[in-house]
Amino acid sequence: MSVADYAARNRRRIGGTALALVLLAVLAALFDLPVADLLTVGTAERALRAATPIALAAIGGLYAEKSGVFNIGLEGFMIFGALSAAGAAWLSAGSGSVGQPDLWVGILAAVGVCTLLTLLFAVLTIRYEADQIVAGLAVWFIGLGFGPFTATVLWGGVSSPSLPNIDNVTVPLLAEVPVLGRLLFDASPLVLFTVLVAVAAWVVLYRTRYGYWVQAAGENPEALDTAGVDVNRVRYAAVVFSGAMAGLGGAVLSIGIGSGFTGTGVTMVDGRGWIAIVAYLFGNYNPLGAFGASLLFGATDMLQVQFQTVGISLPGSIVGLFPYVAVLVVLNLVGYTRVPSAVGEPYDTEE
Amino acid sequence: MSSDAPGARAALDRAADRMLRATVVERFAIAVAATLLALLLGSVVVAASGYDAVEFVSSLVYGAFGTTSNLAFTLRQSTMLILAGVAVAVAFRAGVFNIGVQGQFVVGGFATAVTVLFLAPHLPGGAVGGVLLMGLGTLAAIAAGGAYAALPGMMKAYADANEVITTIMLNFIASGVVFFVVDRYLRPAGASAPNTETFPEYVALPSVVFDSASFSVVGLGAALATVLVVYVVMARTRFGYDLVTSGYQEPAAAYSGVDPERNVVATMTFSGMVAGLAGAVFTIMILGYYSDPSTFPRFGFDAIAVSLLAANNPLGVVPAGLLFGGLDAGGQYIGFTLDVPPELVDGVVGLVVLFVAVPELFRMAARRTGLGGRGSSESPVRRAESDGGDGR
Repeated sequence: MSVADYAARNRRRIGGTALALVLLAVLAALFDLPVADLLTVGTAERALRAATPIALAAIGGLYAEKSGVFNIGLEGFMIFGALSAAGAAWLSAGSGSVGQPDLWVGILAAVGVCTLLTLLFAVLTIRYEADQIVAGLAVWFIGLGFGPFTATVLWGGVSSPSLPNIDNVTVPLLAEVPVLGRLLFDASPLVLFTVLVAVAAWVVLYRTRYGYWVQAAGENPEALDTAGVDVNRVRYAAVVFSGAMAGLGGAVLSIGIGSGFTGTGVTMVDGRGWIAIVAYLFGNYNPLGAFGASLLFGATDMLQVQFQTVGISLPGSIVGLFPYVAVLVVLNLVGYTRVPSAVGEPYDTEE
Repeated sequence: MSSDAPGARAALDRAADRMLRATVVERFAIAVAATLLALLLGSVVVAASGYDAVEFVSSLVYGAFGTTSNLAFTLRQSTMLILAGVAVAVAFRAGVFNIGVQGQFVVGGFATAVTVLFLAPHLPGGAVGGVLLMGLGTLAAIAAGGAYAALPGMMKAYADANEVITTIMLNFIASGVVFFVVDRYLRPAGASAPNTETFPEYVALPSVVFDSASFSVVGLGAALATVLVVYVVMARTRFGYDLVTSGYQEPAAAYSGVDPERNVVATMTFSGMVAGLAGAVFTIMILGYYSDPSTFPRFGFDAIAVSLLAANNPLGVVPAGLLFGGLDAGGQYIGFTLDVPPELVDGVVGLVVLFVAVPELFRMAARRTGLGGRGSSESPVRRAESDGGDGR
């Protein structure tokens, strides 16, 4: 697809983004914002860290939706991921203090638990043709209930005790590269992993046969079936992958960059699963686009810190709402994205 | 066209009617089965976490209905769930997912609180002032709830923004902004909690039957009256007819001259007005002041379960609301007495939603076990043609 083609198809997206940038520039000029102080490597680093959980869930959700199943339960799976990571790490440490190996046990446990749970979700939506939106909402509610419940059983309160998080990894030589070195090669291994996942997801989706199957399962399941590929198996794989990624995203949130599980309010996931859905819509179902959009949301999420460092006083409770407002703005700008045509429809092979 | 419009209309009427009623029995069976299965799973979880499941269930029932004050608490929760449930049902019935009832409920209640607090000094006290303040506060809540719900309605209608996500974002935003205003501008000087001043004591519903500070039969009556009004609007007016047909048969609705965009906005507004009313009842009957919305019970979310269990039928919301009210009250009682975390009940409610979403599971189970048998193959209501409307 040529650049001109892309521009023509995404006029609204591009126009909207340009408009938003102009508005931001006007605002910055009006309020005399120290833009240079706001845009530092530190900002980028924080944005990247905050984007990681969102990007993981977004890339997973994108695969599920490409294959024809709208996994609107990402938020719920993230809650389960965050909880099981903290829980498993804590249990693995026994009575001792939680060390690095325990944290990795937690990460694996989060992926495992969420894989199993999404398998159930997949059976209900694919085999038993559950309404995907309602079932996804149910996953959220179940997470909101059982997440804090399990925390109470484990720790006697809805939140875990404070846990350490995973050590940064410094890649020799590469870490010396200016900017990029500090962002990627002297960072949490999970950040690096997320970047790799995004690239791999792009390659698989657009450059491999399996990727074409996923796309066909969502666009034209009949044709895929005629070609002798089991549509529902492709969908099962994509949905389970989405749950595993959301679980990993949750784990990143609780023990990758956070310090344990918080179960108060709408839990520590706090809408990031929903934001992930908007991220892949904004990225037009392209894994790299979804990653870019997650960075945007990660950056809004970190505005609070940024504003404090340059001394702009806006109440925290208001700045904390920026990501949600950004979601609304993006969703209205993107408007109609071309949803894969068979999303939401169960596929029955003629018996 | 106009000459045979009544005929076409009657045919549409019949078609819509059949689709809405044909599976009532089956849906009822599915609702009961879903609830029982969710409770069973909940008990298994209780047992697996090392608590006594039998004691759990018996305390649940005692906590809901055991004493008059427990019953009053159940009815109080039911009142809220019925109101919020009707708000959800109105939208779902029209094929629009209003997940933002919680936010509209928060904004509505806030409008009530502001109205009461600001007008109280200017109006006479006593019963007259109380009725006036409560009436005006309720109107403000209805208007605010409707306006706040119109936003996602417009976003869906004119910018194609998925309403599931916009309404959820607006929930977060409502909570945050209302907290900010309450905390910054309405908190009395020197108070440590982010609460507004308490309402004058004449702004309260009389308790009449139960001697409870936070439940009044008047509130329950208002909820039931709302159910009736909504039912009549949906079943007997042009507006309700357009709303329901566009939910079940979008092409048919367009054929009979419904503007789909305006219909979406109208639906959301109507739904939000009911949610706002729920906020007014919550503020006047239960709170008597206003506070940080993130500490409020999540009636707006549980209402989704209520509405789904009732198959989005406004009348069905009443028994479903009573059931969930009982679960809620029982769950809180358990939290006080058994040291089983009350969050468990939230999880069970989620399970009910999950099972209600999979009628196929129960149909298959019924076929396997040879129970029921009705409605096995001919289920005329294929779930609403998904909402993307991509016209394949």
